[in-house]
Amino acid sequence: MVYGLFLVSGLAVGSLYALGGIGLVILRNSTGVLNFAYGAIAAASAMCAWQVSDWGLPGVISWLSAVAVGMALSVAYGRFIAPSLAWREPAVKAVATLGYMLILLGVIGLIWDDALRKISLPSDTVAVSVLGVRVTLTRIIAFTVSVAVVVGMVQYLNRSRTGLNMRALADNRDHSALLGIPIIKTETLAWGISGALAGFTGLIFGSLVRLEPTVITFMVIPAVAAAICGRLHSLPLTLAGGLLIGVVESMLTLYRPAAGLRSMAPFLIAALVILWMQRGEKLTFAKGA
Amino acid sequence: MISIENLTVTFGGVVALDDLTLTLKEDVVGLIGPNGAGKTTMTNAFSGFVPIAAGKIVIDGANLLQLSPHKRAEWGLSRSFQKVQIVDDLTVQDHLLAVMDAQKTPRRDRPEIVAQVLDYVGIAACRDLLGEALNPYQKRMTEIAKCLVNEPKLILLDEPGGGLSETEMQRLRSVISGIKFKFGAQVIMVDHDVDLIRDVCASTAVLDFGKLIAFGPTDEVLQDEAVKTAYLGR
Amino acid sequence: MSKTIIMPLAALAIAVLILPALLSALWVKVATSAAIFALAAAGISLLFAQLGLINLAQIALVGVGGWIALRLNYGTEIPVTVIIALSGIMTAALGALLALPALRIRGLYLALVTLMAAGAFQILFNNFQFPNGGPGFWGVAQQSAADIRAPILAQTDQGYFRYTLIVMALCFGLVARHRVTAPGRAWAMIRQSEANAMAAGVNVTFYKIWAFALSGFLAGVAGSLLAGALGQLDARSFLASEGILLFALAVVGGVHSWLGAVIAGILYKLLPALLNDVGVSADIALILFGGALLHAIITAPRGIAGQLLAALQRNAG
Repeated sequence: MVYGLFLVSGLAVGSLYALGGIGLVILRNSTGVLNFAYGAIAAASAMCAWQVSDWGLPGVISWLSAVAVGMALSVAYGRFIAPSLAWREPAVKAVATLGYMLILLGVIGLIWDDALRKISLPSDTVAVSVLGVRVTLTRIIAFTVSVAVVVGMVQYLNRSRTGLNMRALADNRDHSALLGIPIIKTETLAWGISGALAGFTGLIFGSLVRLEPTVITFMVIPAVAAAICGRLHSLPLTLAGGLLIGVVESMLTLYRPAAGLRSMAPFLIAALVILWMQRGEKLTFAKGA
Repeated sequence: MISIENLTVTFGGVVALDDLTLTLKEDVVGLIGPNGAGKTTMTNAFSGFVPIAAGKIVIDGANLLQLSPHKRAEWGLSRSFQKVQIVDDLTVQDHLLAVMDAQKTPRRDRPEIVAQVLDYVGIAACRDLLGEALNPYQKRMTEIAKCLVNEPKLILLDEPGGGLSETEMQRLRSVISGIKFKFGAQVIMVDHDVDLIRDVCASTAVLDFGKLIAFGPTDEVLQDEAVKTAYLGR
Repeated sequence: MSKTIIMPLAALAIAVLILPALLSALWVKVATSAAIFALAAAGISLLFAQLGLINLAQIALVGVGGWIALRLNYGTEIPVTVIIALSGIMTAALGALLALPALRIRGLYLALVTLMAAGAFQILFNNFQFPNGGPGFWGVAQQSAADIRAPILAQTDQGYFRYTLIVMALCFGLVARHRVTAPGRAWAMIRQSEANAMAAGVNVTFYKIWAFALSGFLAGVAGSLLAGALGQLDARSFLASEGILLFALAVVGGVHSWLGAVIAGILYKLLPALLNDVGVSADIALILFGGALLHAIITAPRGIAGQLLAALQRNAG
């Protein structure tokens, strides 16, 4: 019973990490950018959603506004800043997004002062019982969407024309240009999808965990840990990694000596994955990513 | 004298060097072959950059392959790379000092060695220039100078003639030809330029698909029918 | 004496002799913190400029250095200056440990490893807190913190500021010395290509570990100076986000010279305090920092220091 409770809450938090990781991996696969500003985009989206519902507009509009703001902020970076770094190494592209993260954090801080806020979603009031645990619809949505996004994206990347373009772009930018793949259009689409996911993740995180911009912004760190579990490449493994991290973190609460350190789970799991990835390799030179 | 005995290098299932046995005695030995024949793999095997599946490289009675890569320079192996490896923000002198640091050359001997080597390759005037200020020929000569400051026993030059003009090639030829006499090191040179090979290499080995297809005095090798078919495309 | 050393020495002399007299008590404290974080930023710059390695965990190492210094200060009678050196050396050893993944990976993955380390340390600090004179290994007591010993030569805030500046300058000298001697040349070769460095006989493993250890040493010294300046440390000063911010500012300041590190320290500690003083929100500083980081990465790889030095050269010539 008590395990069930922590399992369910672990899966809910884990699916948020997984959603974050999936958004990061989708973007990285097609543009080569690991977007550290992902969490800040999620935070801005969640704050907008709160603002919209604070104005008294219906819940659906607040949901949509989060997704729309996430897309807009992500595409803005993808269209106006990312192209000037297109030919730089992956680490430099990633570091540049730290700049965007700081800007967004600053802007959010200017617009919304520090205050205790709550975002309540219509789905919070509906609940079902799973394993004897009351589970709100919001948690179920978070979990279902992350699984659905993974299944959907894998199908999309494998089947559709744009999906193939994204994968080609990830393999080789020069060749893709020669093949006549519309680079800008394809990349913009990837930024958009990733941004929409960020917005959605921010909204759910704000509702389930805490609606505080800095907390949501640095949720990107465990999301990166989930993405590392997927080697920054595989969507199913990222999903699995995110869920595992969430469950381990939640279960550690039950083991008293480790309870205070449970939030180290993402970092330890990611570190183990990185070590495991190098198992048996005998390298003469350090490997880049 | 260098003997390569049954040297085999594989990458996954691909055999890059196939049971190569070869004894090199001449001052300057050429190594030619079509693209993908295993020339660079062979220089990398000397440097310790590729996994060796079997065989050994014995130089003056010692098996080179037992040394870790950075120890080989100390032993007396130096090399240049196909793509020049000159650091933009180091001076020419610093490039040579970096090699001597690793070699633990006594500090007081260093200025003299630098002067001597730069004088030999003919870029003494560039001593204090930064890497970014050098032209391709000066960069190439800095690379060769780097190969000469560690009291080398064996020098591997990977396509030293790439992208040089005719007069620059002339100077390069005399620099390479004089190395054995002046510094006592044997030279193995990989290049595509048959004229360069003919001018400076007493003997030449030809690789194709990781196998040795000809070896002997350069003139004879270049006349060999198998070589002409494989390499010269005639 | 060469020209390159005159300017830093002159700057140091002015700072040590004049600044403490000019600044009010509050600003002396702020300037001390700025100098301390300049030292930490110098470690980030060293790794980034010399080896192209991204270290987002420098703040965590500053925290470790501070933890060791507090622990030794409360638990032993060792002179404070010796404690600072010891803490630097121990943190250097930890930095060398962080280098182990760097031997096999670089680029983005290494940055991520340091980010994970920063996240883990954030939680460790938060869980165990910093020693405040309490009993046991962790040395944390519920009551308010006991006083720590200050260096004999630095009993006042002004004195401590001078002391910090001199330690900072000595450490900068140590880094500069590394850059122009064998380690600097070896690092340059490794940055160009590891194969090239190995072929030249450079012990790549050793010099990579050495760079991390030196960077860790700077963080450890900075941490112990910070512990001395504040008297007690708060886990909230060593969040992973602070590590990201300090990295960003080191790049904005310019990673290729000591001046860049000083600018990073000023931006990190002095600018927010200045903005606060004139009633401007600290969020403006974040926006400026973010914009400056993008600017530095896209168009000005040598940072503010590079642009300043270039302007000076133009005027001189």
